[in-house]
Amino acid sequence: MIDRADRGKFLFLGSIAVSLVLVLAYLAAGGSDYAPAKTQDPCKPREWRNPEGLQQIAEQFSLSALDGAACKLGVSRETLARALATEDSRQRFLDRYDISDAELARAIRAGLVRAIDDAEEAGALSPFLAAPLRQAIAAIPLDRAIELVNDARSLFEGGGSIIGLGETGLGILEGFLPE
Amino acid sequence: MTEAPRPRLAALALAVGLVLADSSVVVLALPDIYRELDTSVTAVTWVLVSFNLVMALAAVPAAHLARRVGPGRAAAVGLAVFAGASLACGASTELATLIAARCVQALGGAAAVTAVLELLPATVGSERRATVIWATAGATGAALGPAVGGVLTELVSWQSIFLVQVPIALAAAVPILAVARHEAATGVVSSELRRTGRPHLLANLALALVSAAIAAALFLLVLLLIEGWRMSPIAAALVVTVMPIAALAGRRLGSSVPSTRTRAAAGAILVAGGLGGLALLPKATIALTVPPQVLVGLGLSLVLSALTETALAGRAPQALHGGWTISARHAGVVIGLLALTPIFTHDIAEQRQDAIDAGTAVVLDSRASPLLKIQLAQRIDDRLAEEKDKVPTLGPVFEPLPEDADEREAVVTLREELQDQLDRGATHAFSPSFGLGALMALLALVPIGLARGREVEL
Repeated sequence: MIDRADRGKFLFLGSIAVSLVLVLAYLAAGGSDYAPAKTQDPCKPREWRNPEGLQQIAEQFSLSALDGAACKLGVSRETLARALATEDSRQRFLDRYDISDAELARAIRAGLVRAIDDAEEAGALSPFLAAPLRQAIAAIPLDRAIELVNDARSLFEGGGSIIGLGETGLGILEGFLPE
Repeated sequence: MTEAPRPRLAALALAVGLVLADSSVVVLALPDIYRELDTSVTAVTWVLVSFNLVMALAAVPAAHLARRVGPGRAAAVGLAVFAGASLACGASTELATLIAARCVQALGGAAAVTAVLELLPATVGSERRATVIWATAGATGAALGPAVGGVLTELVSWQSIFLVQVPIALAAAVPILAVARHEAATGVVSSELRRTGRPHLLANLALALVSAAIAAALFLLVLLLIEGWRMSPIAAALVVTVMPIAALAGRRLGSSVPSTRTRAAAGAILVAGGLGGLALLPKATIALTVPPQVLVGLGLSLVLSALTETALAGRAPQALHGGWTISARHAGVVIGLLALTPIFTHDIAEQRQDAIDAGTAVVLDSRASPLLKIQLAQRIDDRLAEEKDKVPTLGPVFEPLPEDADEREAVVTLREELQDQLDRGATHAFSPSFGLGALMALLALVPIGLARGREVEL
C-alpha cells in the first residue's frame, strides 16, 4: 500500500515527468520547426535550374525579373508576383506599400535587367542578344514590362520586336538560345 | 427550511456551474459573433472580457451584499438578474448591447455564486464538503462551457447559448426561493456573522495566474481550431470536450492526495505541460491536440480545487472569501485575454503573410505552366482580398481542376502544399501565446510554493 505522503510525491513527480515527456516528444517530432517555409531574400542570387527549351528559360527569366524588382521595392518576390496578376491587385499593392506607378516601372525594368544578367551568366542568353535587350527594356512602358515579367516567353519568342529585329530576326534569335 | 436538501444541493451546484460556465461558454461562438456583428477580433474579445472583468470587480462587493441581505435572497435575485441579462444577450443585435448585457449578467452571476457558497454548508452539513462541491461545480462549468457553447452555436445559433440559460437559471432559483422566504420571515440575514479574516493572498494570486493560463488554453485552442484550421464550431466543440472529460477524471486523481499544496503544484505543472505541448504542435492534426488537452484538463481540476480549498480553509465568512477566489480567477482570465489577444492577433497577421508567401513560392517554383501560375496568383490575391485579415480557405482557388491529367495532378499537389503552408502558419501563430500561457502556469508555482506551512490537510 502506498501511504498518503507517497501518493503526493507520485502525483507531483508524475506530473513533472508526463509534462516533460509531452514537451520533449513534440520537440523531437519537429514542433519548434513547424512554421511556414522561409522565402528567399529576393536580393540574393537565385540559381537557375538548368532550363531546357524556351518555356523553361522564360520561366527562370520571369522569376529572376521578379526577384530583381522585388529587391528594388523591398518586398518579397511572392508578394510582387501576386500584385502583378491583375490591375486590381496591382493597385491594392501600390496603395498598401505607398508606391507610385513610376517607382514600380523603374523597379520592374531593373528586375528585367537583372533577369538578362542572370540569363547571360547561366549561359541561357548570348551576350550578343543581352546587350540590345537591356537597351530595349530601359524604354518599354510599365504594362509591357509587367507582361514580360508574367510571361517572358514573348520576349524569347518575339524578342525581335522589342529590339527591332522584326519577324525575320526571330530565326537568328533562336540561334542564340541554347539547344 | 421547507425544501429537501437534495434538490437544493443540485440547484446550488447548477447555479455555480452555470454562472462560471459563462466565463468561457461563448468562446466557440466568438467567430460567429465576429462575423454576424461585423466587428474586429479585439472588439469581439470584449464579449468574454467584459463578463470576466465585472465578475472580478463585483464578486467581493456581492459577497458583502449577500451577508447583508441574506444569501438566499442574494442568490435568488442574482439568478433572476442573470436570467434577465441572458435574455438581453440573446436578443442583442449590436456588439455594444451584447457587451452591456454581459456586464449585467456578470453582476447577477457574482451575487449568485458568492451567496451559494454561504448556503452550501447548511445544505451539505460540512463547510469543507461545501467548498469542494462549490469548487468542483465551478471548474466543471468552466471546462464544459466551450463545448456546450460550440454545439449550440453550430446546431442553433450563438444567441441560443444565452437563451438556453434563462430557464436553467430560473429553475436553479426555485429551490433557493424557499431559503429566501425563510430569511424574510425570520430576519436571519446570514448563517454566520463571524469577523472577516484577510483573504489568502498567495492562494488567490496563484488562482489568478493559473486562470490566465487556462483561459489561454481554452480561448486560443478554440480560435486555432476554428479560425486557424477552419473547423466548424461543432467539430471544434467535440475536440475541446477532451478537457472537461480529463478534468472530471482529474477529480479522482487528486482525491487520494491530502496536501492541497502538492495537488496545486502538480496541477499547475500539468497545465504548463499541456500548454507547452500546444505551443509545440508538430503538425496541424486534431489527434496531436489531445495529449496536451488531457494534461490541461487534469491540471485544471487539480489546481483550481486545491487553491480554492486553500483560500477558503478556516476563513469566514465563506461567501466573502469565495468572492475573493472568484475575483482572482476572473481577474486572471481578463489578464490572460488582454495580454494574449494583441500578441496572437499580431502573430496571426504575420504568419498569414509568411504562409501566403511560402505558398506562392511553391506555385512559382512549380513546373506548372506560366499561364496557370498567373491564374493561380490572381485567384489567390482575389481570395486574400475577400477574406481580409483572416487565414484564407484556398481550396476554391484551385477549382475547377484542369482536365489534363498531368496538369490536374500538379495542381492537386500544389493545393496540398499550399494548404500545408497555411496550416503551418496558423499553428505557428499561436505558439508564442500558448508558450506565454505555460509560463503563467509555471509562475503560479511561486505563490503555491510560498504558501508552505499554510496548507490544508484533508
